[in-house]
Amino acid sequence: MLLSIVGLADIARPNNSKNTPNKGSVTTQMMIHLKEDAKEAKLVIPRSQLQQLRAQLDALDNGVDNTAAIVSSGGITRTQTIVSGLFLSMAIVFGGIWLVRSGKNRSKTAKMAAIAVILLGTGSVAMLVYANAGPPPEARSITGKMFSQAVHIYGFGSGQIKLEVTNEDRQYIDLIVPDPKTSPSPEE
Amino acid sequence: MQEIRVARHPLTSAQIFLIAFLASCAFAAALIGAFPLQMSIATIFLFAGVHNFMEFRYFAARMPVRWGRSRIYYSVGIGGVVILAAAYLSLYFSSGNWLWSINNWTLLTAGWNTLFIIWLGILFYLRGRQRPGSDWSWAFPIVFLLAALAWIIPQYWSLSLVYLHPLIALWFLDRQIRRTKPEWLRAYRCSLLSLPIFLLILWTALARQPNLPEDTNLFWRITQHAGSEILPGISSHLLVATHVFLETIHYFVWILLLPLVDFRAIPWKLDQIPLFSNRNGFPKVFAAALVVSLLLVAALWFGFGVNYTTTRDIYFAFAMAHVLAEFPFLIKML
Repeated sequence: MLLSIVGLADIARPNNSKNTPNKGSVTTQMMIHLKEDAKEAKLVIPRSQLQQLRAQLDALDNGVDNTAAIVSSGGITRTQTIVSGLFLSMAIVFGGIWLVRSGKNRSKTAKMAAIAVILLGTGSVAMLVYANAGPPPEARSITGKMFSQAVHIYGFGSGQIKLEVTNEDRQYIDLIVPDPKTSPSPEE
Repeated sequence: MQEIRVARHPLTSAQIFLIAFLASCAFAAALIGAFPLQMSIATIFLFAGVHNFMEFRYFAARMPVRWGRSRIYYSVGIGGVVILAAAYLSLYFSSGNWLWSINNWTLLTAGWNTLFIIWLGILFYLRGRQRPGSDWSWAFPIVFLLAALAWIIPQYWSLSLVYLHPLIALWFLDRQIRRTKPEWLRAYRCSLLSLPIFLLILWTALARQPNLPEDTNLFWRITQHAGSEILPGISSHLLVATHVFLETIHYFVWILLLPLVDFRAIPWKLDQIPLFSNRNGFPKVFAAALVVSLLLVAALWFGFGVNYTTTRDIYFAFAMAHVLAEFPFLIKML
């Protein structure tokens, strides 16, 4: 059955990106500063580069490029979670009914194997659901802690940030990240 | 006087098959590992249409003239192929319009996947009912479990299908060898065991390779098809090589190995095909369908020659129908 699930097979996913890979972008340099005295995260963009971005935005508005439309959020919608949970429940219910119905006819080994498959499958889905639980607080705010090893396993982080435009003549974007010193724990 | 005789152990056909299979896989793995993009283009150009023709020919040969007590099974099977293929093409070709947000795309494809999985579950159940003393209602909990996965991880689900589909041909071949060439079965299963080793060698060799260039639309489509967007942490060289290697084996099985073990699958041997040779059959319709299929193969080659990228996209959209058609016949062989 697992091998028979193949449907899209050698089929490419729907072509919802008819553009070429030359996605609109501005190549630049970025500096990241960890500042102890910073109160909030701040992304400072040189005005010259903002103008380039605005040109890209105009191109998008004019339908020249639809790259932005295909960028996946990578998240799971509420509908997906609900429907998935519904199917998971049905799997458990139908699996139980099948086990009860076939109880007398099946060997103990077959029953154990069936239970193991259902538990493993349910566990896999549950793992995926939990894997999509929110990351720890360190990865949900842009601070110096975001660069710690513990957050690296999530591979991403997010948080509120202030966007600023500067008239300074510089060729890089500056990301200022608050890095307050942590107070020593009572044990130290 | 003593006579010295050299004991000769001539190779059996099964041993020759095993050696040829291993040598072909080794050659293919080396070539594809070195030139994944070029081999992807070449194999699809050469074999995609031909393998579809061979599949159609194989399924047509297995279709009975009278469905008898399998009427419901074949009706659900063929009806499902038509409906699911039409729905897939509608989704595919409407993907460029303004309604097509990423959320809509996710929901619609998850819905399609769900219908597809439920259809498979029904086919399993119906097949189980045809086998006396067996209860295949276990298919339903598995179906719902797979449907849950299709909703929670749609992108990985689709990608897993891309990589699993080539293996279906190996399953067909296994069933066919059991029926018509049982003396090869052991050698065939030994050759199957070599596939993970070839894959492991490919992955070890290519894991640290830089990503393949994506500077043309075609190259980008090939790497995207192999999952480079979904698995950005893995070298696209490795992904494309793996996909092309599996696809090549898939083509190899349909075009060469199945006719080798089942002479009814040889394209020009029509005399034992029920739809053609049975007095209640449809010889003219069957012959016409074969001719149209051959013309489509030629048209595909012409299209690839004129505009490879566009023809590739169109081919993969329509190829869904042949993928779906595999399941009723495969499940029927269980």
